[in-house]
Amino acid sequence: MTQTLYEKIWDSHIITKQNKSSLLYVDRHFIHEVTSPQAFDGLRLNRRHVRRPDLTIATVDHNVPTVDRSLPILDQTSKIQINTLENNCREFGITIFGMQSEYQGIVHVIGPQLGITLPGTTIVCGDSHTSTHGAFGALAFGIGTSDVEHVLATQTIWTQKSKSFKIIINGKQNSAITAKDIILFIIRTIGTSGGTGTVIEYTGDVVKNFSMEQRMTICNMSIEAGARAGLIAPDEKTFDYLRNKKYTPANYESLVDLWKLNLHSDKNATFDKEININISRITPQVSWGTNPSMVSDVTSIIPYPKQYSKNDPNKLEEAKNALKYMGLKPGTPITDISIDRVFIGSCTNARLEDLIDAAKIVEGNKVSSHVKAIIVPGSQMVKKQAENLGLHKIFKRANFEWRESGCSMCLGMNDDFLLPGERCASTSNRNFEGRQGTGGRTHLVSPIMAAAAALYGHFVDVRELMSNDN
Amino acid sequence: MISKVIAYKKNNIDTDTIIPGKYLKIHEYDELAKHAMEGLDSSFRIRTKDCSFIIAGNNFGCGSSREHAPIALSYSGIKIILALSFARIFYRNAIDGAFIIPIEIDQNTYNSINDNDELDIDVQNNKIANLTTSRTYITKPFPNLVKKIIDAGGIFKLDV
Repeated sequence: MTQTLYEKIWDSHIITKQNKSSLLYVDRHFIHEVTSPQAFDGLRLNRRHVRRPDLTIATVDHNVPTVDRSLPILDQTSKIQINTLENNCREFGITIFGMQSEYQGIVHVIGPQLGITLPGTTIVCGDSHTSTHGAFGALAFGIGTSDVEHVLATQTIWTQKSKSFKIIINGKQNSAITAKDIILFIIRTIGTSGGTGTVIEYTGDVVKNFSMEQRMTICNMSIEAGARAGLIAPDEKTFDYLRNKKYTPANYESLVDLWKLNLHSDKNATFDKEININISRITPQVSWGTNPSMVSDVTSIIPYPKQYSKNDPNKLEEAKNALKYMGLKPGTPITDISIDRVFIGSCTNARLEDLIDAAKIVEGNKVSSHVKAIIVPGSQMVKKQAENLGLHKIFKRANFEWRESGCSMCLGMNDDFLLPGERCASTSNRNFEGRQGTGGRTHLVSPIMAAAAALYGHFVDVRELMSNDN
Repeated sequence: MISKVIAYKKNNIDTDTIIPGKYLKIHEYDELAKHAMEGLDSSFRIRTKDCSFIIAGNNFGCGSSREHAPIALSYSGIKIILALSFARIFYRNAIDGAFIIPIEIDQNTYNSINDNDELDIDVQNNKIANLTTSRTYITKPFPNLVKKIIDAGGIFKLDV
C-alpha cells in the first residue's frame, strides 16, 4: 500500500485508536510564556507532574522586550508572565532558554537552530505557527492551553487524521520572488480556509531548490490557509542543516539513513486534494486587506470590491470593510501607498537569510525620513550570526533600529506596536485588524520588499532595485 | 438551552478580533472577558446580558492558537457559537477546555437566523428551534470523541 509522508508519520505515532480518533505520541513539546501558565496551574491543582520534562523545551518570546535586555522589564504583567514560566520550568524540571540565554529566541526559530526539531517527529506547541517545523518533515501543529496541559501530563494528544493536500510548486524563481511571495500567492489562490481540515505537503522543483529557511517560511504560513500543518519531505539540505547542532542526537547519521528510506510520500501515493502552482510569472506580493488572502501584485492596484468579490456578497462586504479599516481607495497603485513603519521580524521572516537579503537592499541607503523601521532577529543566535557578518552596521547606518530577539511587533504584546492609523510594511504573517496594535494597518510583504519600502517611504517593486541581479 | 443570538454575519472572525494580543498577559478570566470582541462590536458586553449565542460565517476563530479566545467569549456569557465553519485550533480549544460548544450549520440555517432571534438549541439531539420565526433546523452530529468530551465537560474529565 502506498502512503503519503503524513500518513507514515501519523501511523508511526499512534498509541491507540477510538473510532476515528487516535491518541498520538508527542516527540517534542515547545512551550512559551503566554499559553502555558494555566496549563501548569492545572497540573498543580490535580497533583500531576510533567511526564517527559526531557522532551519539553521552553523559551520566552511573545512578551519579551526587544530593547536593552540589561534593564528590568517595565511592564509588570509581562514581567510576571516571564517569571512565571521560569518558575514553572524550575519546579517541573524543564530546560528553559530565558531572557539572558544565548539560545533565547522565537520558539520556531530556535527549535531547528538547536537541532531539537527532527524529521519524522511529532511536534506540538501552544502556538499556531508550529507548522513552521514541517519544513523538516516533522508533523508539527499548534495547540491551545488545555492541550498543552494534556501533553505536559501525558506526552500524548487525541486527534483526528486530517485530509492530505498536495501543493506542487513549479516554475522559474526570479531572485526577487521569495518564499514569502510564493506562500502569499498560494493563500491568495486557495483562500484562508483553502487548507482547512488538511495537512499540506509542498513538493515540486521550486520546493526542492528552496533553502531550509525558505521552506520554513512556506510551512509557517500554512496555518494562514487554515491547514493543520505544512510538510516538506526531508532531503540532504534538511540533514545538513540539522547536523552538529547543540541537540543533534549522537546517533544522527544512522537516523539519517532511516529517514532517507522512509520519509517521503510513496510514488503514486494518493492525496485527497492536489493543486499545481506555477511561479514563473508572479511578482512581489503585497497584502492590502485584513486577512492574508487579500493580496495584490506590487505592479497592480488596490482592487475594486465588486471585481474582487466576483458576486459573492460575503466577500464584497469583507473587501469593503477591509478597505475602510485600511484607509485605502480602490484603484490606487500599490506603489503609491505610503508607509509609516517597517517591521522586519517574526517566525515567518527573521532568519539569517532574510536579514542578509534585506541588508543587500539597504546597504549604502537611508530609511526614509518619515519612516520608523525596526529589525528584530528571530533569535539571539540569528542576531549573533548577523553581527558576525556586519549586517547590524549596515542596518544601523541606514537608521534601522537593531533589536533583541522575540515576537515583537508581529502581535504587539510587548512595547513594539502600531499606533492607530499607522501603516506598516511587515514581514510577519497576519494582517488582521488590530493585530499589530489597535487601529494599526498591516501590509504583509517579504523582507526585501519591506527593506525597499523603508528606503522609499512607500512600496516599490523591489525587482527594479535588483536589476543587475537577474 | 434557550437564549438570544448575536449575529456577526461575516467570514474569518479571527482570534485577534476576539481577543487582541495585548490582553494575553491577563490571567483572570473575568478581566479577559471585558475585552472580548471589543474591536468588532462595542455593544458586545451589554448584549451578552441576554444573548448566550453567536452566529457567524466561515472560518470562525482563524489565526492564533490562543485559548484566551474561547475563554474570553465563555466568560462573557457565550455558551454556543453557530458558524458555517470553524478554524480547527479554535474548535479544539473550545471543546477541550469546555468553554464553548461550537456547532457547524449549513447555509440555509445561516441565512434564516437573524440577529436577536430567540433560539432553543438542543445539543443532545442536534436540533435548533428558532422561537422567533418558528422554524427548526437539524445540525450535523458531532464526531464520537468530540461528543464524549463535550458531555464529560472537557478533555480532563473524559474517561476513555
